[in-house]
This record gives sequence, structure tokens and C-alpha cells, in this order.
Amino acid sequence: MCGINGIFAFNPSANLPDRKELLATRDHMRARGPDAVGEWWDAAGRIGLGHRRLSIIDLSERATQPMASACGRYQVTFNGEIYNYPELRTRLEAQGRVFRTTSDTEVLLHLFDLKREAMVHDLRGMFAFAIWDDVAKSLFLARDSYGIKPLYTASDGWTFRFASQVKALLAGGKVSTDPESAGIVGFHVWGSVPEPFTLYREIRALPAGHTQVIDEAGPRAPQPFALVSDMLGMASPRPLAIDEMRDCLRTALGESVKAHLLADVEVGLFLSAGVDSGALLGLMRDAGQQKIRTITLSFSEYQGTSDNETPLASLVARQYGAEHQVRTVDEAEFQRDLPAILAAMDQPTIDGINSWFVSKAASEAGLKVALSGLGGDELLGGYPSFRDIPRWVGMFKVPAAVPGLAWLARSVMRHSALGRNNPKARGMVKYGGSYAGAYLLRRGLFLPFELDTILDPELVRDGLERLQLLPTVDSTMPPGARSSTARVAALESANYMRNQLLRDTDWTSMAHSIEVRTPLVDVALLQSVGPMIPQLTGALGKQLLAQAPSVPLPDAVVNRPKTGFNVPVGSWLDRKPDFDTALRGHVSRHRALDLMRTFATGAPALAG
Amino acid sequence: MTDAFGGYGGIAQYNRDFLSAAAGGCFPGPITVLARMANDEVGPLPTGVEQKSPTMNKFAYAARATVLALRQRPKVIYNAHLYHGPLSMRLARLTGAKLVSQLHGTEIWDDVPAGCLAALEASDLVLTVSRDTCARTLAKARIAPEKVAVINNTVGARFTPGDRDAARRKFAVAGEIVILTVARLDGREGYKGHDRVIPLIPKLRGMGVDAVYMIAGEGPDRDRLEALAQSRGVEHHVRFLGKIPVDDLPDLYRAADLFALPSVGEGFGISFVEAMACGTPAIGLGIGGSPDALVDGTLGTCVAPEHFADALIDLIINHPGRPSDLATRTRHHFDYPIFASQIRTQLQKVW
Repeated sequence: MCGINGIFAFNPSANLPDRKELLATRDHMRARGPDAVGEWWDAAGRIGLGHRRLSIIDLSERATQPMASACGRYQVTFNGEIYNYPELRTRLEAQGRVFRTTSDTEVLLHLFDLKREAMVHDLRGMFAFAIWDDVAKSLFLARDSYGIKPLYTASDGWTFRFASQVKALLAGGKVSTDPESAGIVGFHVWGSVPEPFTLYREIRALPAGHTQVIDEAGPRAPQPFALVSDMLGMASPRPLAIDEMRDCLRTALGESVKAHLLADVEVGLFLSAGVDSGALLGLMRDAGQQKIRTITLSFSEYQGTSDNETPLASLVARQYGAEHQVRTVDEAEFQRDLPAILAAMDQPTIDGINSWFVSKAASEAGLKVALSGLGGDELLGGYPSFRDIPRWVGMFKVPAAVPGLAWLARSVMRHSALGRNNPKARGMVKYGGSYAGAYLLRRGLFLPFELDTILDPELVRDGLERLQLLPTVDSTMPPGARSSTARVAALESANYMRNQLLRDTDWTSMAHSIEVRTPLVDVALLQSVGPMIPQLTGALGKQLLAQAPSVPLPDAVVNRPKTGFNVPVGSWLDRKPDFDTALRGHVSRHRALDLMRTFATGAPALAG
Repeated sequence: MTDAFGGYGGIAQYNRDFLSAAAGGCFPGPITVLARMANDEVGPLPTGVEQKSPTMNKFAYAARATVLALRQRPKVIYNAHLYHGPLSMRLARLTGAKLVSQLHGTEIWDDVPAGCLAALEASDLVLTVSRDTCARTLAKARIAPEKVAVINNTVGARFTPGDRDAARRKFAVAGEIVILTVARLDGREGYKGHDRVIPLIPKLRGMGVDAVYMIAGEGPDRDRLEALAQSRGVEHHVRFLGKIPVDDLPDLYRAADLFALPSVGEGFGISFVEAMACGTPAIGLGIGGSPDALVDGTLGTCVAPEHFADALIDLIINHPGRPSDLATRTRHHFDYPIFASQIRTQLQKVW
């Protein structure tokens, strides 16, 4: 896990890139890669690549990046892990390829030489990388299907820039800070900025599962190579028996966990009281890992409540013989860390606090890599949305189609107690009739009709126009999928998980120089599990997950009501006197507005 | 398009450059030009380019374009002006042609009519003359950033350092330090920035510099500027040259010691590049397209408005003379072969 960046003056009228800018962007990402730094320039000085390294695989200096191919034609700067690199390497060696390092980075160079852009289909892992071809004079970018690793780009028509973080691009000083209305409005709608937008018009995310080529003609349109929605659309041709599904899941999960343990340093685990991380611990043990250290967060506010994860997490740790560490976080520490949290936050998000502290705890424990159970709820139907969204769509499909009824319902409810205290209730008829709309009701922070009260109406109109809110959400569902479970799994994976959970995990863990790996967010796993997802209704998915380790999880964990991976931030922030505590979701909403003010203060263009 | 061969002005010049570049290597078929105007002699056309007789009336123009498009079934329709967008878009849809739109700069600054915006958004490629135009396009139109490219204007071959002494004699300049602006005297007050320069003339003269300010161009702002020169007591040192024939422009640039255009409204600012290609240093503001022409201050001087006066005086007092490699460096960024190769590269993206 690392920080990568580059500057390419593709337009012949442009000046050569400034070395100071390359280094300023690179070194803004110091925490992403504290172990080593590198830079590379082509002979003409038109392209520079930067790299900051967190050494995980092949700790030697040979594996320093940017790394050149033996022939000197290619240069790569890479952030992530390729979990199937041993197999790829064996295959490549059989074809006569000679390796100089034991790193996964070198595999990328050989694969690109052999297969060009099609190389991405061979990769299992989390990745964002750039490869410069010094003969074709073109730059190739790629980002993994789930979007676990970030990659941001900026082009002004003369010069193309990329980096692992938005703030790193800004730190270079040459990227425009003109605001992107779609990013600002998108943040208020979702609580995180939906890709490809950022708060700044010039900066965009390379969408997950896409590649992009930049050559003398400038950036070409990003091309999709493997979309999560497509993989979720592949239903099994025949219904599978429970035993078949259990076996398939056990094998696929076992392989994924094993693959994710690949490292030349110790791999730990973030352990909660839930099924996902507990099952991972059992599977780590099954994969043969002897020493396993687990980290669990504890909050004094939760002592004696069902939100307290410590007792069950300890039980699971004991069952699988892990060295368990409980890290207690209190309000004072939260308030102390808040400035650092805001400084590290790459784009505004209303979440990520839990990830911040668990990564901090892992770092204090001396860990460099930890597994996380993130993604289990999306893959195996763990969220209430799997139940609610299809129900709402069934309920509101007909009323939503009646002209004028949505407006009428909203107007009437505005004057009712329910409508006043729960703004989303006012949007039920308008949005509840479609999957995209119902998903907005489920995950949305502010609904579109509320935005005029908190943002400039012209910005809202422009932002919604550019954002194309519902069509964009709609496009993340598998085309033609009839299964409601597959639809919601796709919605959660390609929206909430991608724009919120994975991004938050990235910036919070990287701020502590911790690499978080997510065995439940894995393309190979998805390909195995995807066809059975339509059958994983109710709690079945999680039950099968609990049974995946050779020693199943204790019943107490499986039967525990879902509480989420909570942090008492609400109560810590609730003490602010201006909070309207009667309003549902008020904490998140106020936090969003506070955050936006913080980001606006940092960038003058957003303040206006 | 409005005009190309036989046309006058910057847009006609750009269109000629574009057509010559497109015909010179990448278009697989012939190029038919339908212009609204051609006031001057059309002259020889590049191989593969045919220009129809002009049609000024816009209804007749639209009808003729439609008939031509249906008959020829073009592969690409080049929409050379924002306001030809709606017609171009309809013809592209009618014939299945790819649509390439061109933006020259300031036409995108103000509100854009919905039809013209729709045409931009429907374009397969939008060519813009500066990074600023590109950014403004992306702010206004809902179009993928990869479809909007920057190809800066190119500088004509006749803009070279040439014989400076002869040029100075031609414009009756002896030992004076000449500051030059070439621009329309636009009615919008302060737009081109002549009134930022005039107050500096008495200041420079007070410092012992025999400075004169030559203003080439005509327009409704002339009376105001003359009055300003008079009020500052430099009416004899501010020379209004009127509209200069195109053929005399290179000598005018050569005669100057510094080209100044502190304009707040340049889509690109080709005159900066023409001056520097003639070997004359240039100064402008970091606003709009000017930073492209001045290459972010590495080719010419590019400053914020509040620093303009000090920067100009500093150039005259502390950096007199003409860098010997300025013309070469200018060509390095804006020479025709670079422009032509970019046109070809971009057009190849479309098919």
C-alpha cells in the first residue's frame, strides 16, 4: 500500500512539468508510504512519476518504485496488492520471463508487456497503478473493480496529473480549485462525494473497474474492464441446494482469506462482535496462520449496552486462539484527534471515525497490515436495505406513477409531525417506487427537495443536473437482473461501499500507515458467490458465512442483533447547543454541514 | 463556418489553419467548406479542400448546408462556431456524421443559448483554443472531459524577427522605448487594458525613460483613451495608429520594445504570440487565455492585475533588450507543425 502520483505534459504547447510540484504532491502522501520514496523522469522531461512506499511484500530496496522493466521501456508506479502474483509469476516464468525481485510490482511490468491493457483481467487484488510506455509515449492507468484503492486524475488540456489523493493533487499547487457543483451536491445527498466527482471540477476519480490511456491526444475516455454490477448479474441457471452453497462459499472464502494473507510482514485483524470479522478469524486459522493479533475498539459510553462489542469479540478471539487487544476510545481522545482527522480526510465524509481509531490502535500495536470484514453485509445481504428496498418498491410503485400524488403527499406531510421529524417520509411516494429512488431514501442524507434550504439554489440545480442522481444509481444495478437481492447487493457495493466505506478505510488507515485488506471484497470471491446471491435471502448468507470456518462461529455471535460498527460520535457531537435533536438523522446532517464548512475554509473557491 | 479562405480576422485565420492541417494528412476524404462570408479573394486552397461560394443569409445558409449534407453524407461535420451549433447538430444527426465543435474563446464566457449548449454536449469532440476555454466549457456543458481538447492557435510563418531597424524606420521610431498594444479598442471599458498602460507612460518618462505607447486598432473606446492620455499629459507620447494592414503587423511588432496587452478578456491572445515570434517581449495578465499564450510566464510575463504596473516598469528599467532566443522558443510552443499534428491527433480520435 502506497501513494502514487505523476505529471505528464502531453500537449506539445505545454511547459515541462515542474519537479517541485511532483515532489510536493508525492510528499503530501508521506503517511501512505513512510518506508521509501522514488521518482522517475523520462529523458525529455515530459513525464515524471512519483512513489511513496509502505513495504509489505519484498522489503528490499530492489522493489523500490517507480520500477523499470528490464528492457527499460516501461515504468510503473503502483499502489495496492496483487494477491495472485505468485501464480502469475510462475506462469510468466514458464514463458521465459526473468524476474529481478520477489515483488508483485514486477509482475505488472511483465504482464503489460505481454498483454497490454488486457492485463487487468489477470489481476486479483486491490490496485491503482500507472505504467508509462516510453516507446508508445503513452500512460496507462488502472483501478480495481471494487475501487478499493483510490486514483484521482486532473487534466487542464495541457498537462495530465494523477495521485492517490485529492489533497495531494492540490498540494502540487497547479490544479484548479474551481468547485464542482455535482461533487458538492452529491456530498450533501449521500454523505460522501460520489465518484467520479470530487469537490473540484478539474479533479476526477478514475472510476472503479476502469482503465485509462493518456497519450499525445490527452486523456482518452476511461474504459470499463470488470464491473461489479455485471458480476452480480450472473445468476445461477438452477437453484442450488443449501449444502452446495455452503461448500462453495467455504471454498471461495477460504481461498480469498488465504490470498489476502500474502505478506512479508505480520497480518492482523480488526475484530468486532459481528459475523464477518469473526468468520475471517476462523478462516485465518484454517489458512494456517499461527500468530494472529486482533484489535477491537471499546467505548465507555457503550459499557453494559448491546453496542458494546468487547465481550463477544473476546469470546471469538478466545475460540480461535488469537492474541486479543481491546483499545478503549473516549470522547477526550476523539476531540483531541479531531483536527488530525479533518486534516487527513481527503474528501468530506460523514463516516470513518471507527476506521480511524481501529487503524490507530493497529498502528500502536506495531501492525502494518490488517484484515477487515468490510464487504460482508454487501455480499451476503446483511443490511436492512435488502429487506426494506424491495418492500418499499412494491408498496410505492403504483402511487409513484400517479401524476401529482408525490407532490401532494410531500405537501401534506410537511405539515404533519412525521413529515417534520423525518424528512425522508415526505419523499416516500416520490422516490419509493423505484430501486434507485428507494436506495436514495435508505442511504440519502438530504433529499434533493431539501437542498435548497442549505445550499445556493442555483448550485443545487446545476449540481443535480450534472450529477444525474437517479440514472447514475440506476446504472450501478446489474442490467436485466430480476433478483432483488442481487440488485440491492449491487447498489450497496457500487455506491455506499465504494464511495463511503472503502474510501474512508483508505484515508483513515493510510493516515496511520496501515494497510487494510478486505477478503470479502474480492473479485474472485464475487465470481464464485455471485450466482448464488439471488438465493441468499434473509439471514441465510450470514449463517453460511458463520459456518465457513472449520470451527463455526458461536451462536451468540450469529444470533446477535445487527448494531453496525458503531462509534458514539453522535453523543459526542450531540452536546453542541445548536442541534435540533428532534430531527431524525440530525447528527449526520449537522456533521455534513460542519464538514463542508471545514473543507470550504481550506479551499478558497469553495468558500464563495 | 463564418469564414475561412477569403475571410478577415482571427477566426478566419484559425479556420484556414484548421482546414490546411486537416487536409494535410488525416482526412480520408475531401473537405467541403460552406462559409457565410468571403470578402477578400479566396486564393489557392489546400489540396482536398473545396470552398463553396459564401451564403450570408442564415436561412439560405441552413438550407444549403442541409442539401449539401444530405447529398454528400459527410463522415464528420465541423461546427466552426458556437452559434452554428444547432444547425451542425441537426445535420450530424440527419447524416450520422461525427460532430466536431470549435470554440475560439470568449463566446463561451457569457450565457450560452440552450441550443448551442446542447450542440456542444452532443459533440464527439470539442476543440478549444486555451485551457481557460476548456475549463469554462466543462463548467457550462455536461460533457465528458476527455471529449474536450486544447489546441492553441498557431502563429503565422511571416511573424519572424526580420529587419528591426527597417521596421522602426517604417513606423518613425528612433531612440524611443516603444510599448505596443495591438487590439480592438473595445467599447467595454477596461476590457483590453489600454487604460492600465497609459498612466505608466508619464511615470516612465518621469524616470528618464523616453517611452512612447503605440496603440494599433480601432474601435469605440478611442475617444475615451485619447482623453485619458491628454489628462495625463502624454498625448504626444501615446500614438493611435488606427487599423494596421495585416501585412504591416510583423514590422509593427518588430518596431516595439515591449508588447503589452493587459486584457481581462482574451480567449487565447494570439497577438502575444505574434509579437514574441517577432522577437518582442510581451506582458499580459494571468486571466482568461493569456496564460496559455504567455506559457504561464515562462515565454512572456504573466502577472496578476495588481502587479501589472510594477512588472511593466521593471521590464523596461531592469530588463531592456530582446532575448535572442525568444522567437525560437515561441515557435517551439506554437509553430504550425505542432498545431497541425495536434489537429490530426485529435481528429483521429473521432473515427
